[in-house]
Amino acid sequence: MIDDSSPLGEHAIPLLVAAELQDHLMTATNDLDRLQTLLADACDTLMLRFSSAVEQMQALMGAASDHRIQADELLPVMRSLGAAVTALQFQDMASQLINHTHRRLRSCADQLAREAMGDDEEGLAVVEDAPLRPNPVTQAEMDAGSVELF
Amino acid sequence: MHSILAVDDSASMRQMVSFTLKSAGYNVVEAIDGQDAFEKAASRSFDLVLTDQNMPRMDGITLVKRLRETPQFKSTPILILTTESSDQMKQAGRAAGATGWLVKPFDPNKLLEVIQKVIR
Repeated sequence: MIDDSSPLGEHAIPLLVAAELQDHLMTATNDLDRLQTLLADACDTLMLRFSSAVEQMQALMGAASDHRIQADELLPVMRSLGAAVTALQFQDMASQLINHTHRRLRSCADQLAREAMGDDEEGLAVVEDAPLRPNPVTQAEMDAGSVELF
Repeated sequence: MHSILAVDDSASMRQMVSFTLKSAGYNVVEAIDGQDAFEKAASRSFDLVLTDQNMPRMDGITLVKRLRETPQFKSTPILILTTESSDQMKQAGRAAGATGWLVKPFDPNKLLEVIQKVIR
């Protein structure tokens, strides 16, 4: 039978509740890991397609310089590639956001386990450090960010 | 041809920055973090440094400080391109000697405009 008491006394979270909360937090961190992998895979594919489009664009620019096609026909394609450059930065921002959230959840799970179950026989329970600063990614849209020259 | 040192720990960001700069005719050298950038900067000079802030081993602001201590980079334009947009971080970048602060995501045309404005 599991002892439902906690080393923190009568007002502390019962051990079973703490264990369940920790399980949820660990599941969430594992889900974030999978999301990170899926995002990276998807972006690798997008980057390959993007590189292929850039190579084709360079060939077309060569044709334009030889007057085989009109240079202004390439403007819409250049604009589209420029927009893709902005959108493809989504992966970088999303990765930072996921990494930050992962560290915070992991730290909560570790702290919860230590508070509910105490330290190991071998010494202090390992608690992953929570990020010291808030998440650096504050942008909510894919519009270009601000520019400030000092 | 102007040479630019582009620093970011994200491979996709390095590709986006390189594509944008190379399309505009710049020569681009990539570095994977501040430490790698500092080592590359020791062996040659650049006309501009464009760096991320949050990176392993050495962050962007530390890189700016270290480069500013190097005579050849005393007046080289250094732009920080980051997801960080707090005034506190911007002021830290300014105090370190950065030339400007750009928040991700960047628009290729705007980035090139800024670079043309600050590069010599």
